Amino acid sequence: MRYRSQSIAYWYFAVAMCLFGLQLVFGLLSATKYLGPDPLLDFLPFDKTKAIHTNLLIVWVLTGFMGATYYVVPEESRSEIYSVKLAYAQLVTWTLMGVTAIVGYMFGWTAGNKMLEQPFPLKIVIVVVMLMFLYNILMTIKQAGRWTVTEGVLVAGLVLAALLYLPALLEYDNYTVSIFYRWWTIHLWVEGVWEMIQGGLLAYLLIRLSGADREVMEKWLYVIVGLVFLAGILGTAHHYYWVGVPQYWLPIGGFFSALEPLALLGMAMYAYFAMRRSGLSHPNSLAVHWTIGSAVFTVFGAGLLGFAHTWPSVNKWTHGTLVTAMHGHGAFYGAYAMIVMAIITYALPNLTVNRKVEGSSVGYWAFWMQVMGMFGMTLSFGTAGIGQVYLERILGLGYLDTQLKLQVHFLMLLATASVFAVGAGLFIWNFFRTPPKLAADVLVAPQHRIIPGMDDGGLVNQKQ
Amino acid sequence: MTKRQGRLFFIVCTFLSAAVFIGLTIDTHTRFAELTNEEKLTPAVISGKDIWHANNCINCHTLLGEGAYYAPDLTKITQQRGTPYLTAFLKDPSQFYSEEQHRRLMPNPNLKDAEISDVIAFLDWVSHIDNQGWPPRPIIVSGTTIPDTDIGQPAIQASVSSDPVARGEALFRSAPPACNACHSVAPGANLAGPTLAGIGARAAAIIASPDYRGSAKTPADYIRESITHPSAYLVPGPMYSANKQSFMPDNFATDLDTEQIDSLVAYMETLK
Repeated sequence: MRYRSQSIAYWYFAVAMCLFGLQLVFGLLSATKYLGPDPLLDFLPFDKTKAIHTNLLIVWVLTGFMGATYYVVPEESRSEIYSVKLAYAQLVTWTLMGVTAIVGYMFGWTAGNKMLEQPFPLKIVIVVVMLMFLYNILMTIKQAGRWTVTEGVLVAGLVLAALLYLPALLEYDNYTVSIFYRWWTIHLWVEGVWEMIQGGLLAYLLIRLSGADREVMEKWLYVIVGLVFLAGILGTAHHYYWVGVPQYWLPIGGFFSALEPLALLGMAMYAYFAMRRSGLSHPNSLAVHWTIGSAVFTVFGAGLLGFAHTWPSVNKWTHGTLVTAMHGHGAFYGAYAMIVMAIITYALPNLTVNRKVEGSSVGYWAFWMQVMGMFGMTLSFGTAGIGQVYLERILGLGYLDTQLKLQVHFLMLLATASVFAVGAGLFIWNFFRTPPKLAADVLVAPQHRIIPGMDDGGLVNQKQ
Repeated sequence: MTKRQGRLFFIVCTFLSAAVFIGLTIDTHTRFAELTNEEKLTPAVISGKDIWHANNCINCHTLLGEGAYYAPDLTKITQQRGTPYLTAFLKDPSQFYSEEQHRRLMPNPNLKDAEISDVIAFLDWVSHIDNQGWPPRPIIVSGTTIPDTDIGQPAIQASVSSDPVARGEALFRSAPPACNACHSVAPGANLAGPTLAGIGARAAAIIASPDYRGSAKTPADYIRESITHPSAYLVPGPMYSANKQSFMPDNFATDLDTEQIDSLVAYMETLK
């Protein structure tokens, strides 16, 4: 850690880890409800556990992104964060908002719009927190008078994420219009600007871990983000199938969704070749696992599993089945959960005391159990979804009767989800195993002096 | 390629895509009214939508295929179930399905009568949205349109409810032999017997037609007569009857008691 204020990141990561743990509790609870009967039916039925599960995901991943930004920006701009106090105030407000939302959902306080269930007052708090965050980051960059393309992409992604939340504040009488604009937030986040954030973090990690040339990495970062937007913006159309909008969204959705895996494949190749070509091996090979793992799992979960059902003539049959849950789990995990865990794994030896850079065997167990568990979960949802499409949509068996026939897949889901949960539990335990460095412990390198070495990864090539 | 060209590629891709997307969005706005029948967005429909949101329905059900896959899709539900059925169901779902048999159950939403009627108005508005004809085949809540596909399911011998419509629906799937072995309730899905989708409404037209020789005066009478005396009126088609004799079993008049037949009639009348 070269800047004192980077230690802010630790507390963001710590909150993210707690929320991640909580997300799994509600995920497992939801999974058992597929098997039923549900003893909690009257207090905590599926709709509540499911809403809490997805909301926690969004909140912890965003917390991770913010923590990552507080870690990356000082290094890239070579300056302390503008206001450390503001950063902590932001974290407290954000956490309180998250906890209030969860408790609220339990007692039926919800806006009831899929993924945007946050009641209106909480949505306002979210906007305020985003403004605090962006002000702090932009002032840091302004004060430093220096920015890199890598952090530019990361911060631009966060600015756009905040902007795209604004349509979620509006309500529409027409349900179709409300669906239309829901995806401006959710789709353009997940398959647009969040991927921009992922790309920025990936570039940062690859430069640090592989020592790849910054000029080359940033050139390709532009190309990849360009491809992501080319496919992702018009790819929104695949959410406009069968919801009451004009017919032309069908072919547009099919074509641009088919481009999405290509953009993601580009991202994976970017990561792979950066590591191959560099010839350097960073001691933190666990962080390398997470970084490459994120790029590869994104191609699988977001790219291939997404394209498996975005072609209109396929989607006609799979729309609204468990096939979507298959893609949802693979995509969010690979692209966002894994990139946050990559940056945490990379930063943790610097943020905590007595931690080996190489990582420990617990860290590897955490990685492999999560990857295998999540792979099994996508298979469970996928096979259940295919069964559902065939029995319910093609043969015409009733929904409830079909679900009874899928019980074995739900058992498989619960088994693989348990493997995943153990892996995630190990990751969280490993995170909290060593205490954070206090600001006083931090050896701060003199500012504006470039130290050659691996962690500088190409900074030396950067024009001053 | 240089870094500048990379940046140019990024800028051009982003702006072009965004421009096309915004252009199509504007065009879509000019079409919403016609595709979604905006003139039928009555206060009841809008209030129904608010109740739908307030009760977090989307986090179990799907509507227009969007939602949480834990409960049936409701896009066309008002075309499969009549208002009396849906009203009774929303008053107490546990009267219609049981957790032991179906492994999952809808919690009672505790809605007032006016709220229930608003939700049904909203669902009915949704069912008329022009959505490119999705779903391509009806998605049904329970039972089957194909004989024998429910083999191996727990036998649903009797409903858990005393509501005649609910009891009728349960009987529909179990009366020996089960009605749904030959009749679907999905529009257009004719199996061994004709579909019973819309039978409540169709019965009136049959009674009024000159071909009708039976003694029924009301749709309810007609449905009762069809159960107890299947040959009183023959639905046209060589696959349903021969020599003025319906292929439908005629054991129901003797094997079911009056109350059971009343329940079946009550249920089928809701199939509008």
